[in-house]
Amino acid sequence: MAMQRTAVRRKRREQTEFFFDYSLLFIVLFLLGFGLVMIYSASSYEAFQDFQDASYYLKKQLIAMIIGLVLMIVVANIPYHFWERFAFLGYFVSMALVPLVLTPLGVESHGARRWIRIPGIGLNLQPAEVAKLGMILFLAVMVCKMGKNVRTMKGFFVMLLVPLPVVAEVYLITKNLSSAIIIMGISVLMVFVASPDYKKFIIIGAAGVAAVALLIFLIVSSGGGDGGFRSERILAWLDPEGHSQGKGFQTLQALYAIGSGGIFGKGLGQSMQKLSFLPEAQNDMIFSIICEELGLFGAIAVILMFIMLLWRMMVIANNAEDLFGAMLVVGVMGHIAIQAILNIAVVTNTIPNTGISLPFISYGGSSVMFLLIEIGLVLSVAKHIQLKEL
Amino acid sequence: MEGNNKIFHRKKILTIFLLCAGVFLGLFGRLIYLTVWRAEHYSTLATDLHERERSIKAARGRILDRNGTVLADNKTVCTVSVVHNQLENPDEVVEILSKELNLSPEYVRKRVEKYTSMERIKSNVEKTVGDRIREYDLAGVKVDEDYKRYYPYNELASKVLGFTGGDNQGIIGLEVVYEEYLEGKPGTILTVTDAKGVEVEAAGERRIEPVNGHDLCISLDMNIQSYATQLATQTMAAKEADSVSILVMNPKTGEMLACVNVPEFDLNQPYLLQDGAGQDCTEEEKQNLLNKMWRNGCINDTYEPGSTFKIITAAAGLEQGVITTDSHFSCPGFIIVDDRKIRCHKIAGHGSQDFTHCMMNSCNPALISVGLRLGIDNYYSYFEQFGLKDRTGIDLPGEAATIMHKKENMGNVELATVAFGQSFQITPIQLLTTAASIVNGGNRITPHFGICVCDSGGKVLEEFDYPVKTGIVSEKTSATMREILEMVVKEGSGKNGKVEGFRVGGKTATSQTLPRGSGKYISSFIGFAPADDPQVIALAIINNPKGVYYGGQVAAPVIRQLFENILPYMGIMSYNQ
Repeated sequence: MAMQRTAVRRKRREQTEFFFDYSLLFIVLFLLGFGLVMIYSASSYEAFQDFQDASYYLKKQLIAMIIGLVLMIVVANIPYHFWERFAFLGYFVSMALVPLVLTPLGVESHGARRWIRIPGIGLNLQPAEVAKLGMILFLAVMVCKMGKNVRTMKGFFVMLLVPLPVVAEVYLITKNLSSAIIIMGISVLMVFVASPDYKKFIIIGAAGVAAVALLIFLIVSSGGGDGGFRSERILAWLDPEGHSQGKGFQTLQALYAIGSGGIFGKGLGQSMQKLSFLPEAQNDMIFSIICEELGLFGAIAVILMFIMLLWRMMVIANNAEDLFGAMLVVGVMGHIAIQAILNIAVVTNTIPNTGISLPFISYGGSSVMFLLIEIGLVLSVAKHIQLKEL
Repeated sequence: MEGNNKIFHRKKILTIFLLCAGVFLGLFGRLIYLTVWRAEHYSTLATDLHERERSIKAARGRILDRNGTVLADNKTVCTVSVVHNQLENPDEVVEILSKELNLSPEYVRKRVEKYTSMERIKSNVEKTVGDRIREYDLAGVKVDEDYKRYYPYNELASKVLGFTGGDNQGIIGLEVVYEEYLEGKPGTILTVTDAKGVEVEAAGERRIEPVNGHDLCISLDMNIQSYATQLATQTMAAKEADSVSILVMNPKTGEMLACVNVPEFDLNQPYLLQDGAGQDCTEEEKQNLLNKMWRNGCINDTYEPGSTFKIITAAAGLEQGVITTDSHFSCPGFIIVDDRKIRCHKIAGHGSQDFTHCMMNSCNPALISVGLRLGIDNYYSYFEQFGLKDRTGIDLPGEAATIMHKKENMGNVELATVAFGQSFQITPIQLLTTAASIVNGGNRITPHFGICVCDSGGKVLEEFDYPVKTGIVSEKTSATMREILEMVVKEGSGKNGKVEGFRVGGKTATSQTLPRGSGKYISSFIGFAPADDPQVIALAIINNPKGVYYGGQVAAPVIRQLFENILPYMGIMSYNQ
């Protein structure tokens, strides 16, 4: 009895020294493990046909994941203020990496040039992922440096203008609208947290909604005849069955998967749509395979995991030792939230189709590695929370 | 101040979290809508997408004669197809299939290399060939069994029964008319495949069973039909005729007992032209030859009936009361109508005779006189009353319409020629039906083959009714006509139609084919028995006989031989017994 009491006492003393967010780690590990299972299920049929190896994609993802986890542990154990000095460097590296896709180092895949090959390792890197991380770090530092200036009109506009060059680069050079939206979204969320004002953001939000509505109205009323690529996507979004052979194809296949899965799903591994019907089944469209195999309940479980993840990050951000730590966590939180929401919205045809992967679950090496580095940052921030303040 | 900062930061972070949670909640709702409300819609579409159909032919209903003899049956055949995405060795497949199916390698290669989910190479392949191809066990080659029409009696009643095409659909004859009863409903084999059309083995197959067609019972009697065919074939050979037709009908009901048109064709090889004809002609010419071969002359073609039509003129005259059997006519060998002199076939003339003898002698001037006594209006209205202007309504496709003068264009000369069966055209079935209606007591019947539709167990599902128009002539006129026509056979021009021991009535005809003076004739004889209560009526038409061409000498013996055999067979007792 005495032994136990001393153990409890020691534990409590240790806890006052540092905090490690095991629930966050558990949620992330669960999502990663679940993702591996789903990647195998969604890709094995095609992988066997294309490479005679059913676990081709699984293996590649597993390797990226292990590297990512190692990086995460390393980052988690480095005090996050260490990175403060790299903020400007990160911003310029992001700026410099994006144009590299146009050089011979660039790699083309699925008709888009969005990757660069890192010489020597044979690993492909998506500069947009670097840019997301770089932007989170840079804006966090900026907010701290500007202090109360953030509250002025000038500060507000400076904060919104800073990410624009990178966003423009990503959009114009890599033709990657979704990454551009994500980077911009992260920035807006971080500025929103840094600034005490609400009015400006409500106006921005209302103006954005109005602009989108106007754009859709114009495209629909013009019949999409002259708008080309993007407007056809809008029309396909409104009527996927009418565009089943064109832009609506992938969305419609995803809807087939979700609809035919029903409430309880067909059972793990029983998806029909993954048999080459649904393009990118293991990638951007993996959520529809989850719906087909595990049904509404599987889908809700995944969404709940993401909400819990965001909740944990909110707790960490609210209790961070300083503003810099809080802003870092907010950036990561925004990144994961925006990406998960947009992905599920695309798969369920709630918004027009655009290529966004589901964090931690979709296939994609550089994406999962950078996400894990970001989680490492969050864990590092969490570690410095003084428990007595709770 | 630092504390204030913290508080609004916390509030903002909470706002972000709540905003995200709210959006996630919205997506929940969207997912519930998709998986609950839209599930059925998308499941159906997805199943359609995932399953490949192969249809299973339904067995077509059989055609049975009045005694239950099967005239059209089914036999198992195979359909050979290739699934492009499952082919492993296309060259081998091309080689084996072209060899086994007797197709050119180029043709097979084109089909094999065509990028479709499933391509049919050949249907209606003999089962033995199909089994042999199956034994090669070629990847991507599918041999499906289905049914093909089979006609056990080959040529028998070919132009009546008709045949079916590659998809088992009726092409001519009864097969077309009763298509909806015979065809059945094809089934499907549904195979689950991936997007490239490769079968998913674990998923197995789903079958929707075909529904077989119903059997059709027809009034034709296989024995009478085959005997009549035999007679017609002999006659055609003996007289070197172009064609011979024999129609046998029950005059009371209109049920057709036989319908022969020689030359017939082999129903099991309907695309094979006889005597190797059509070997070096174009597709179109070949098709014309085939259409000619498939034509049912008794129904699809018209002709000038000639003296057999005197039955109609006589009946009209008797019904109107312009003549009786005792009316006397004088025949000098010709008659002058308006400015025309129309000759009798006996140039010396028949002299003075009563009407019965006029018919026995088939005297043209006498019948012209009857026609003239009736007048154009009366004659025309009888023509219509007897149903000669309309089609008979027989249940075979393509019945030809009567070609007759317009009433306003008819003068006495036209009336005179119509009265003895010239200058207009009707189909043989029309003549037979009208004659039957006159001798059966005046009921215009509808000639027909179809009696009823049965399921495969013989249970009657539907019986067919045919319209009957009563009273086209009075019973008295009908009886008089029977007596007159019996006399024609007994002692007149139709005496070669006489059958020992039976009372037979009838009328001969010898008509020239158009254009006149071509030297071609059509000999015909219409006969019925027993003469006092007709139970069978038959018409024989010999087209362009060589040598003697008179109906009384060419056609009447055909009906005599027919009656000699079928009357005892039908259980019609001779008056001696």
